[in-house]
Amino acid sequence: MKIEFYLNNDPHEIEVDPAYRLLDLLREDFGLTSVKEGCGEGECGACIVLMNGLAVNSCLVPCGSILGKHIITLEEFRKTDRYEAIEKGFMDAGAVQCGFCTPGFVMATESLLNQNPDPTDEEIREGLSGNLCRCTGYNLIIKGVKLAMEKGAGLW
Amino acid sequence: MVNAFHPETLSKALEILAENPCTIMAGGTDLMAQKARGFAIRPVFEHPLLFINHIDELKQISLEDNEIHIGACATLSELLESQLIADTFKDVIRQMASPPIRNLATIGGNICNASPAADTLPYLYALDAQVEIQSQTGLRTLPIREFIKAPKTNGLQNNELLTHIVLPNKEFDINFYRKLGQRRGMSLTKASFHGLANVTNGSVTDLCLALGSVAPTIVRCELTEQLLIGQSFINIEEILPTVLNKYSEIIKPIDDARSTAKYRKEVSIRLIKNFLLGLGK
Amino acid sequence: MKENISQSIPRSDAKAKLRGETKYIADIPFDKLLYAKTLRSTKAKAKIRSILLPKIPDGYFVIDQHDVPGKNRMRTVVSDHPIFAQDDVQYIGQPILLVVGEDRETVYNILAQIQVEYEEERPLLTLEEAENSSAVFTDYHYDKGNPCAAFQNAKTLIEDEFATGYQEHVYLEPNGMAAEFKGDTLFVYGSMQCPFYAKGALLETMDLADDKVRVIQTTTGGAFGGKEEFPSLIACQVAVASLKTQKPVMMIYDRMEDILCSTKRHPSKIRYKAALDENQQIVALDIDVLFNAGAYNGLSPVVLQRGIFSVTNVYHIPHLRVHGRNFMTNSVPSGAYRGFGAPQTIFGTEMMLYNIAVKLGIEPLDYKARHLLKRNDPTCTGGRIHDEVKMFEILEKITQMSGYYEKIKHSPKYHGIGASLFLHGCGFTGKGETVINGAIQLTKKNQEVTLKVSSVEMGQGAETVLRKIVAYTLEIQMEQIIFEKTDTGLVPDSGPTVASRTTMIVGGLLQQAALEMKERWHEAESFEVTRRYNHPDFLHWDDQKFHGDAYPVYSWGANVAEIEIDPVTYELTIKNLYGVYDVGVPIDLRSLEGQMQGGIAQGIGWATIEVMETSQGRLIQTNLTNYKIPTAMDVPEMEIEFISNPYEFGPFGAKCAGELPFVGAPPAVAAAVSHALKKPINHLPIRPEKLMEIDNEN
Repeated sequence: MKIEFYLNNDPHEIEVDPAYRLLDLLREDFGLTSVKEGCGEGECGACIVLMNGLAVNSCLVPCGSILGKHIITLEEFRKTDRYEAIEKGFMDAGAVQCGFCTPGFVMATESLLNQNPDPTDEEIREGLSGNLCRCTGYNLIIKGVKLAMEKGAGLW
Repeated sequence: MVNAFHPETLSKALEILAENPCTIMAGGTDLMAQKARGFAIRPVFEHPLLFINHIDELKQISLEDNEIHIGACATLSELLESQLIADTFKDVIRQMASPPIRNLATIGGNICNASPAADTLPYLYALDAQVEIQSQTGLRTLPIREFIKAPKTNGLQNNELLTHIVLPNKEFDINFYRKLGQRRGMSLTKASFHGLANVTNGSVTDLCLALGSVAPTIVRCELTEQLLIGQSFINIEEILPTVLNKYSEIIKPIDDARSTAKYRKEVSIRLIKNFLLGLGK
Repeated sequence: MKENISQSIPRSDAKAKLRGETKYIADIPFDKLLYAKTLRSTKAKAKIRSILLPKIPDGYFVIDQHDVPGKNRMRTVVSDHPIFAQDDVQYIGQPILLVVGEDRETVYNILAQIQVEYEEERPLLTLEEAENSSAVFTDYHYDKGNPCAAFQNAKTLIEDEFATGYQEHVYLEPNGMAAEFKGDTLFVYGSMQCPFYAKGALLETMDLADDKVRVIQTTTGGAFGGKEEFPSLIACQVAVASLKTQKPVMMIYDRMEDILCSTKRHPSKIRYKAALDENQQIVALDIDVLFNAGAYNGLSPVVLQRGIFSVTNVYHIPHLRVHGRNFMTNSVPSGAYRGFGAPQTIFGTEMMLYNIAVKLGIEPLDYKARHLLKRNDPTCTGGRIHDEVKMFEILEKITQMSGYYEKIKHSPKYHGIGASLFLHGCGFTGKGETVINGAIQLTKKNQEVTLKVSSVEMGQGAETVLRKIVAYTLEIQMEQIIFEKTDTGLVPDSGPTVASRTTMIVGGLLQQAALEMKERWHEAESFEVTRRYNHPDFLHWDDQKFHGDAYPVYSWGANVAEIEIDPVTYELTIKNLYGVYDVGVPIDLRSLEGQMQGGIAQGIGWATIEVMETSQGRLIQTNLTNYKIPTAMDVPEMEIEFISNPYEFGPFGAKCAGELPFVGAPPAVAAAVSHALKKPINHLPIRPEKLMEIDNEN
């Protein structure tokens, strides 16, 4: 199947099995390894990317459904001021340990703040409930998001 | 490589379906997880894939003749954003899956999977929702309970597509929804209860009770609801044992990886009892 | 630069991880790479009658027992697990062979066509069955004092029994390994805690000389014990495959495969008999510890040792009879998991004391406090508590922080508060450190110092903490300290990254070396300092009799949990969790806060929602849809504090920290639930299904 889509703001035209997972397309074909496979069933959130600005689990997205869509991975998002604010917030809070879940959390945070720039603690927890972390116990990540909101005030 | 169709319009999609047996791919969140085979390997599908989640006609949410018409490919996130969707329903949706999955998953997909644990179903049963089914030869409408046949079996023919869900535009005085999962965040349902009621002057004027994940399909019993409608709160206390007995007979849960039949049954009865006794409070 | 060591500094690896630049094993490209996938047993116990292979296309290979050049057993404490099944299989998921080739799709297709003919045998499925059949792998006994007399003279005898379930680590990065030969030297790369364990296993299985094997740890996405011994198995498998194919071979598990066949926390059953004197004080305990080791014993003997050496927890019990057994069942092998056997026995002991206190009508925390160990008291194995015990300070702090005494008196029904007291023995059990005899090296070159250890960064912050210890000791900048790649060809064997030993033991050696380097700093532009572990003279251990100092020192702690139970559904909500810890002197508070919070979250998971059971030898929860670990919505707010209690032999006074928080959370939650329902909680995980049952009992 021929597919046209935008990846990290560049247009692409590819020939691909429509059932091929977006996750594999990004990792195997484009070498975008910030996108991680942690479960392959939408449970862990390590493969989260933005599709038309919204967080999605790329392991659950068949390539046949990305026609005309804009996909953004961390490789592109890390060039933004919003990323800088999240990076600073997460660093200062001690939100990073093993790091395998981290790109997914960064992308989920962007999606959350994009939709709701001023979430309550409970809304942050809910907004990140599709991301598993086994190292931190989450509270330090929640703190990281709150620090990012302060540091990046006005960006979202 | 599996064949695929990516029609731009509903009529084109129906035309394709008339000619080919297809696996219908909307949000993909259930299908892709079910078909997952392993690390960095593609899922395999038997039939050609028919992608429909981009079709505009299937994404609209509208109010017509005091009925809400929801396009089958509206995502759960889009339902949460819509002004037309009742808060009662949004409460249900907010407890489904996780935000990234809700950005993909569609209401039509949740229905068509016909899982006993599908979270939109108790509410749709309680409201006597109708589903619109289209094929190239026409449109038919079915009550949701007739559409859901058995676990993983819906009423679609090979050439048909679920296109819309139609709900009465109404809210109830009392809305009580409880979803029980293995944990608070992102869980499949091990049991759920939705109770809706209107009350005036100490009596129940309207009521529906629906239970999820405790039988092959959603449990709702109009006969027993009729018994309760019109009763005063005090009378309800009196007929409670009869009511609970009735539900005890029709709740038929199973043991599985997530919970036990015993708990599912008992917690359902407790939720019904708690709801009915709470009506007057 | 002379700063407070406890003050937090930025983690050296955080930025690259945040930017998504860090490469884990699955992200690393290799030339001409072949992928491997494992064919696994579908039977709990069977003889393999035959294996029927389809026609294997060119460039694709089947790797099995016959390809192993050396020993077909994975080297560990008990080297009993075959690299590839020989004539039989002992659990569902046991590896039989690999299919290897360039295209994953083809590999999967070949795998799907292989037919294994089994002759099924009767498996042992449960711990109960194994006990009834006396299927014992390991059987340990030790006594202290005179338990016979103590039981004879007892005023009151009380019996109790506890059980705990499986736990899967769910490190976010599933297991993965790659191997390649460069000339005649084997290079193995992957996600692991113990590069030298993997190397040791490879030497035996590959039958290679010491200088022909190099193991290189890649960034490890969480481990928690799950990547202690288990990766050795995968390392050997890909190495054998690489030898046969003469190409690099990589094997990455998907989550279901990882859950199916990687090691788990040992399910346990623990039975207590307590003898009380006329003051209701416990004077003697008879304890029977049963662990389900699964199909192979592997590392289980040492897990059981820590379990039975932690069995009196923070309490002084004069007379003891302890019996510990690992049982064989035809199920996935159990192995190392944060806490290493101690969480099971400490849960039992905490709840046993709790239950006795409730029975006697004494406030549980007060009752526990009556039994607390003090400095110079004998330990359960007849060693000594050599250092100051600050449990009373910890108790005072935690009860104040949490309002414990107020709340325990005035909680409404279905609300509960509970406390746990606990310790963790720092570093290896018994003679472990002497046996490993770990070495470290610091190399000075101009103004830079390279730090060489085999202790790995796996998320816990070892890299930052070890660099910090060296930088602060040398009083130079963090940037001047280079953490050498954990490559067995470049670093000395400082031992495995386990047993909460990295900061205290390895960091301690680094500090000694750094002190020497500091003195000699101006001696030369370039020189190196090497240090080897030296067991302190005053510590004695008899490995035959299990007598003496099982651990050099202990870290201590207390937790208080506040919970609420839904009276209709019995769903459990943990509202608040408080922790006060004595880990010596905290090295980097933010890093420790992360360890404590993360450990508590895992402990809460094990105690409440992480249900893993088997049926006919098959795991019922096989993926993350069914096996649930906590999400951000499932963890409570946590309030963590540390008290300072410098340890003479630890770097800057530090003791162990990583496992301690796991141990404390489960009994605190269980005590709170017991308080809410006024019923004993003797089983983990605490499910609503069970709570509904016990609340309805009279």
